Amino acid sequence: MSERLRAHTSRFVAGLALLALLVGVAACGGGGGIEGGGSTEVSTVEAESKPSGELTISNWPLYIDKQTIPDFEKATGVKVKYIEDINSPEEYFNKMQPLLAKGESGGRSLMMLPDYTVAKMHELGYVQALDKAAMPDVEKNLIKSLRHPSFDPERSYTVPWASGMTGLIVNKELAPEIHSICDLFESRYKGKVEFLNEARETVPLVMKCEGVDPETATEADWMKAIDKIKAAAQSGQIRRFTGNEYVQDLLNGNVAAVIGWSGDGVQLELEDPKLEWRMPTEGCMFWSENAVIPVGAPNPTAAEAFMNYVYDPQHQAQLTETINVVSPVEGVRPIIEKKGSDSANLKLIFPSSSFTKNCSSIPILKGEEEQNILQAFDSVLNE
Amino acid sequence: MLRRRVIPYFLLGPGTFWLVLFFVVPLYYMFKLSLETGVVGNLEFNWHWANYSNVFDLYHTQLVRSFVYSGVATLVALLLAYPLAYTVAFKAGRFRTLLLFAVVAPFFTTYLIRTLAWETILSDGSPVTSFLHAVGLAPSGHVLATSFAVIAGLTYNYIPFMFLPIYASLERLDVRLIEAANDLYCSAKQAFFRVTLPLSLPGIVAGTLLTFIPASGDYINAQFLGGAGNRMIGNVIQSLYLTQSDYPAAAALSFVLMAIILVIVLIYIRFAGTEALMGEDAR
Repeated sequence: MSERLRAHTSRFVAGLALLALLVGVAACGGGGGIEGGGSTEVSTVEAESKPSGELTISNWPLYIDKQTIPDFEKATGVKVKYIEDINSPEEYFNKMQPLLAKGESGGRSLMMLPDYTVAKMHELGYVQALDKAAMPDVEKNLIKSLRHPSFDPERSYTVPWASGMTGLIVNKELAPEIHSICDLFESRYKGKVEFLNEARETVPLVMKCEGVDPETATEADWMKAIDKIKAAAQSGQIRRFTGNEYVQDLLNGNVAAVIGWSGDGVQLELEDPKLEWRMPTEGCMFWSENAVIPVGAPNPTAAEAFMNYVYDPQHQAQLTETINVVSPVEGVRPIIEKKGSDSANLKLIFPSSSFTKNCSSIPILKGEEEQNILQAFDSVLNE
Repeated sequence: MLRRRVIPYFLLGPGTFWLVLFFVVPLYYMFKLSLETGVVGNLEFNWHWANYSNVFDLYHTQLVRSFVYSGVATLVALLLAYPLAYTVAFKAGRFRTLLLFAVVAPFFTTYLIRTLAWETILSDGSPVTSFLHAVGLAPSGHVLATSFAVIAGLTYNYIPFMFLPIYASLERLDVRLIEAANDLYCSAKQAFFRVTLPLSLPGIVAGTLLTFIPASGDYINAQFLGGAGNRMIGNVIQSLYLTQSDYPAAAALSFVLMAIILVIVLIYIRFAGTEALMGEDAR
């Protein structure tokens, strides 16, 4: 190889290194933008005669079956753009907040968010009141236990999309004796348990282990529970804090038990008979995701028509079978039982009131208290 | 004459434009953000320098940890990549292209997927983990969710950035110089330390910088391979931005990270010499 060619090659190689670096950096960058749009009028949703046009829905990944959207499009002629861009309510809210503050919804007409997020949005004036007359099936079929939540006593701006329970997912071979949240702190499971990285679920469960009722807990109670979690993380008792990445650790046999969601539990029990979702002896945390129509949402009529559509028990059954979470719609269980569906762990999808008697709903924190608690918990996560 | 003076500026134009638009402007906004107070949606600019001291007080552990992790990863990557580059450059013969390709090939898969694969490789019951446990490298019984896993992941992910510059400088090394050293009674070892190694310094310096700088700010490895107590500064910045929505603190911490990296790099270059970085052309 001539000297010159050599120099060329080495420059080429160095260039390649730089290029690779750039590609690497770009790959981590990722993340989509939010498209603008949406009108700025803010008012109560008014029912037009018939839904039509386009409807954009923001939801969590894997939170719908394949058939519901096409069926709805066929039944109504509305064209649906379904985006799975919610992974964490905080991240999503922070991403949308600048738009919502301007009275825009980024083109979205429905967002599925947890109780505490919709409560905050309502307080900030980011959601529209619903026209109940346009959703007779919701009025008729919403289950009793979800009709009058504290943050929206008359369900005037929210419609539940799905609910679920946060409890224990246990590997029966590695940890047959884990039945309570307190058991997770036993030293023989050191490095074999994982906690959720959600302050509003993990901390109340630990408070329940301490005998404190999360619904009446003071800031000091929260801090005490957070200290307990912190000590367990520092000693190596808690292996790590996860979202549903715990699924991988459970399937690989890396952990004996985690704090986890009932929807994942149903799925994991099917995939691996060693795994089981257990109701902690202290009770679970019971949560809901709610559909809200944000300010500036285009085509609210179609949004209400869509919610009404999924509240038909026949349509809902199709959805429930796929996503394995607690359905907010009355009359779905007989339909699924009749189908003899193999996927239904009915105890977790249609929990009886005696099964959930010790469960608490996710506390709605406010103002400085919320900030202090979340900060304290985040500092444990970031330890 | 005029043309000759104008053309260089003309050629600089597109690059400068790009850097100003996508680096200087965002940097300015981030700097401004780092001196604001309040909550998202209601931020107020008031030269709040305390943001800097606050994040330093709160997160110095993670800062130090990040530099330790990336420092160790850089060192290990150097020790692994140098012999590899040496072999490929001098001993590989007709397999050279194949070996080069093998080093770059993992880049056809995304960073994220490669790191996730390590989650499986290092899982508790895996042969790798059993082996490490048997030889005493995994005292806690698991490798995943430890600092060892994070450093291993960083090393793996950045090794090509170490390898390629070193290879480039070794490959263009004039072998006649080594022959001359041998002719002048240098032993193979002396020839290596007096001729080969000094001449490959530009590659080493470039490689260590290309590894150390991005590794310090990395958060993917700590996220997937680390456990409680292994978070790096990148994870903290991510959580400040995305979950705690404390934008000013996140911006301030980003600047602290940038400043520390800059200082470390300046000291390093001063120590290693600018010629080493630029190659003999700079002399």
